[in-house]
Amino acid sequence: MRADEDVLHGLMVDGLGGDAAAHAALLRLLVPVLRGFYRRRANGADDDIEDLVQETLIAVHVRRATYDRERAFTAWLFAIARYKMVDHFRRVRRLHPIEGLEEVLLAEDFEPAAAARLDVEELLAILPTKQADMIRATRLNGLSVAEAAKAGGIGESDVKVSVHRGLKALMARIQGGAR
Amino acid sequence: MNTEDLIAQLSQDVPPVRRRAVGRRLAIGIALGSLVSAVLVALVLGIRPDLGLAMRGATFWMKWSYTFSLAIAAVVMVVQLARPDSARLRWTWLLAIPVTLLAVLGIAELARTPPAEWLAMWLGNSWMVCPWLVLALAMPIFIGLLWSFRRLAPTRLRAAGAAAGLAAGAFAAMVYCIHCPEVSAIFVLTWYSLGILLAASLGALLGPRLLRW
Repeated sequence: MRADEDVLHGLMVDGLGGDAAAHAALLRLLVPVLRGFYRRRANGADDDIEDLVQETLIAVHVRRATYDRERAFTAWLFAIARYKMVDHFRRVRRLHPIEGLEEVLLAEDFEPAAAARLDVEELLAILPTKQADMIRATRLNGLSVAEAAKAGGIGESDVKVSVHRGLKALMARIQGGAR
Repeated sequence: MNTEDLIAQLSQDVPPVRRRAVGRRLAIGIALGSLVSAVLVALVLGIRPDLGLAMRGATFWMKWSYTFSLAIAAVVMVVQLARPDSARLRWTWLLAIPVTLLAVLGIAELARTPPAEWLAMWLGNSWMVCPWLVLALAMPIFIGLLWSFRRLAPTRLRAAGAAAGLAAGAFAAMVYCIHCPEVSAIFVLTWYSLGILLAASLGALLGPRLLRW
């Protein structure tokens, strides 16, 4: 059985009517839904994810009176799941929200990336302007040769030759500096 | 525990849930709390001796209408915040109606009174204790609401705490009317409202800690 809104809503309504089998079926269907929900949003050991899934199942069971039969079941479920996740992060520091982690990684990567960019600009400064501009356009800014030619007002073969010569000069310079 | 075992265990206890279960549970919490507050008023503060006479006058009903309509507006907010998917709070403007009406009444009252008596009318005999008594009487009702919330699912805890405090304060002010002999509208507008606001602030302060689940 696929766990979609209509199926879950129907089981929930039956469960609220006192049908224990429907309630059990609902909770069973929610397990993969919640695992998916937490795996997409939280980075943690499977045990932590499973703890969250179980806490949420208990909350769905204990607080099922707050479900309004006229409203979407999944909205209600995910509101509980989201609350449980935030509460879990606050309590247990083992799990990290992936969104937060991304920001941390971005911040960590920024500095070396910025430094590398500065190095490249320093190297490009020793080249003739045309070669430097064409390398910037095709290799750093991601333009195609045709686009770079149009932007620079020169021929396509001129662009290719400039880039080639420029890169060759840079290679010689870097290797010469390394020796 | 194995998740499958947990589900089996949870499914053993599936009582039917009535449609208005949230409202019913809140009503029980508020009623029990108000009862405790009323008993406290009767035992500690004393019911005003002229209560029977006062209930035939307009002032008493002015006070009850004000506090009761505030309480209803607060409960409308609590009911919404008791559900997890309470994204947008509606009907909050209802709170403005009783306050505005009482303010109009207060201005009319001031117009009828010589300015020399305004201060005495505003402060009454009990302005120093009134807000604190309202706050104290709100405590049993707030505790009743905390009991209600044990089966409810607020996800905005500070807002839910504030709304619960507001409702507790407004019902407490209603209960306090059976003791308080003050008669002027501006007295009620200032000192009753201050007590109710204190209760709401305390609720907002404690909500995140007490309403966690």
